[in-house]
Amino acid sequence: MNAASPTLEVRSLAKRFPPRNGQAEAPWILADLDFSVATDEFLTMVGPSGAGKTTLLNIIAQVDAASGGEITFRGEAMNPVSGTLKPGWGCQIGYVTQDDNLLPWRTLIDNVTFPLRVQGRLDDAAMERVTTLMRTVNLVGFERYYPHELSGGMRKRASLIRTLAYDPPIILMDEPFGAVDAQTRTALQQDLLRLWNLGRKTIIFVTHDIGEAIALGDRCLVLSRSPAKVVAEHRITIKRPRDLSNVYKLEGFGDLYELVRKELL
Amino acid sequence: MTAVAKALPGRRSLRAWIPAGRVALAVAFFALWQMGSEMLGKEWLPGPVLTCERIWSLVMTGQLARDTLVTFGEAALGMAIGGIGGALLPFLLRLSPRLMKALEPFLMAAFGVPKLALAPLFILWLGIGMPTKVVFVASIVFFLMFYNGMAGVLSIDPRLVAMARVAGAKHWVISREIVWNTTMPFLFAGLKIALPRSLSGAVVGEFIAADAGLGWYINNSRSLNDTTGVLAGVVVVTTLVILVNAALQKTQVRALAWRPMSRDMTI
Amino acid sequence: MNLRLTTDRIVIFVVLIAFWQLCSLEFGQHWFSSPLKFVDKFVELGLNGEIVFHMTYTVKAAIFGFLVGGIPGALLPFVLRRLPVVNAILDPYFIAGYGVPKLALAPLFVLWFGIDLEPKVALVASIVSFLVFFSTMAGVQSVNAQFVSMARVAGANESHIARHIVWPGAIPYSFAGFRIAAPYSIGAAVVGELISSNRGLGYMIQAGATDFDTTTVFVSLGTLTMIVVLVNICVAHAERWLLRWRPRTGAGAAWVPGA
Repeated sequence: MNAASPTLEVRSLAKRFPPRNGQAEAPWILADLDFSVATDEFLTMVGPSGAGKTTLLNIIAQVDAASGGEITFRGEAMNPVSGTLKPGWGCQIGYVTQDDNLLPWRTLIDNVTFPLRVQGRLDDAAMERVTTLMRTVNLVGFERYYPHELSGGMRKRASLIRTLAYDPPIILMDEPFGAVDAQTRTALQQDLLRLWNLGRKTIIFVTHDIGEAIALGDRCLVLSRSPAKVVAEHRITIKRPRDLSNVYKLEGFGDLYELVRKELL
Repeated sequence: MTAVAKALPGRRSLRAWIPAGRVALAVAFFALWQMGSEMLGKEWLPGPVLTCERIWSLVMTGQLARDTLVTFGEAALGMAIGGIGGALLPFLLRLSPRLMKALEPFLMAAFGVPKLALAPLFILWLGIGMPTKVVFVASIVFFLMFYNGMAGVLSIDPRLVAMARVAGAKHWVISREIVWNTTMPFLFAGLKIALPRSLSGAVVGEFIAADAGLGWYINNSRSLNDTTGVLAGVVVVTTLVILVNAALQKTQVRALAWRPMSRDMTI
Repeated sequence: MNLRLTTDRIVIFVVLIAFWQLCSLEFGQHWFSSPLKFVDKFVELGLNGEIVFHMTYTVKAAIFGFLVGGIPGALLPFVLRRLPVVNAILDPYFIAGYGVPKLALAPLFVLWFGIDLEPKVALVASIVSFLVFFSTMAGVQSVNAQFVSMARVAGANESHIARHIVWPGAIPYSFAGFRIAAPYSIGAAVVGELISSNRGLGYMIQAGATDFDTTTVFVSLGTLTMIVVLVNICVAHAERWLLRWRPRTGAGAAWVPGA
């Protein structure tokens, strides 16, 4: 990468879990994983299911420890192997997980403002930002609803803006749109791009869907099967703002898609 | 998303403390008991030594054996009667959902009444001999088994039944395969609770109406202000109930090996 | 509620009363009293305040015991959650304690605390505390690890997690314990009174039986049943309100009798 100082740098990251009973050695999930992300870049990562994408994000978010390697965030060493974990790295790394993880006993608005509340930052300016976000994703009017009263797509949106509301400089996303139907997925992707346009920030978006990776990202990394490492990198030159209903027809999309598909085999 | 690493006692150093801690706690308990006895006087709190001596003398005179047998007998008989009735009724009720729904509030009311409150009535009708206790224990066990049996019957998956019907199974085959197998774990859970309850039920029943048995011994000692006797009796009953519980725990594991671990919160 | 169900229930009620009257005629009013005498006595004791007097005593014992036992029982699991080693050490003792039949301790409590309200409160508290403790513990241990993780990433500290994640998640379990304990409290209070008391519904039952006054016994039992039913209804309403965030699953909403 030719950015002056990338926001996040991952070097030789390796991870394996403790061996099960009867196993001599556990297999490596990640090995020799290198990549970096520039500030305000939308980076997508594609890999087959089970390749360790979630593990990778867990390590970056400091939810899990690594077995080897280094990570540097904004010049600061994160010590993923030794040292105690600091989930979220002081609220600087946001994490949108596969499951929406909304607290079922809280209303929609309480869920969205939850991080702001525990961080003690829920002031008028923050509430305004929340309202704008809610409007952007069409959740206005549902503030007092409980999660079980909302559709899957609405819960996903809530989970998204919950992280965006407290504005961490870098956001990790783990196949956030995997569990919804195709139409909802396209709408959510469009919402995400719209939100990203509102306030550019660094995003690492992990998916198994090649089309999604190309349509959303500035740059796309291809991960191999276990043990996962970066096997290819593609700069995506499709101009922004992108219309997701049309992007698939644009010049270059089809060729890139084929290329990545072959790399994943 | 993997679970956050918690500071569980998974580290060897911490784990080793646990059995040591338990032993220490037991020792501390007995020490406190003895000290409390010395401070408060043995009329109020007889110490562990005194209590053991009393238990020993009861064993020697054979009274412990006699009383235990009486209590066990009442428990067993009540268990058998109440258990069979309570376990069968759900299967019968299952045949008429309409009756089941109609009976619901009455059953709820009956559940809530403490069975011991009926004891004086039983005494009035049956005297203070064995039948009273048996009826009392039976009433406790009946409701327990009924409750569990009902839960089991209601949990029968109607889709399984429909599938069996489509496949041509006769009514009694469905009963045997699906109804019985679905309800069995619930009945077992009920048994597990009912067994120690029948024992303690017999004891408590004897508080009110008896002239023999462990419960009679406890209450009689109380009326004579014989604290040592009360404590001795309580210790014996407690030990018996704990032993029964432990024995049941072992048998259950073997009998229900085919089930994925249930999270049933048997209260 | 649909008409057919209500008529069915009325029919059953009438059948029960008729059965009672039959037994009364067959075996004699001395043994069974009768529906009419029941109503008579109920009105008499209701008007002269006796029922209320004894009822208050029993309910007071039950409520005090419920609070004295329930509150520590509900709070302890949250404390133990932060001290896993202590929890592991105490665990077998808790289970053994749960196995001890508390009602069998009633004479001991009477010997220690006298024949007034205290032994009944102690008895009720001992039963309720274990029930509530174990249910709350199950709730605390079932905390969703993903929620905790999410909260940590969002910047929550331990106090936040306890308040916003563990506590609300454990409430349904804790409440189940309270729900089961509620009728038990009344029952335990009555048991305490049966063994030794000069007041309360249990006393009324015992005294009635001793005097061969079957009618009074039935009246007290009837009052007791009504209280229990009322308690169950209140608890059901409280639960519905407290857990209004929960989806009403069809299968789960079924059989929950009081005991």
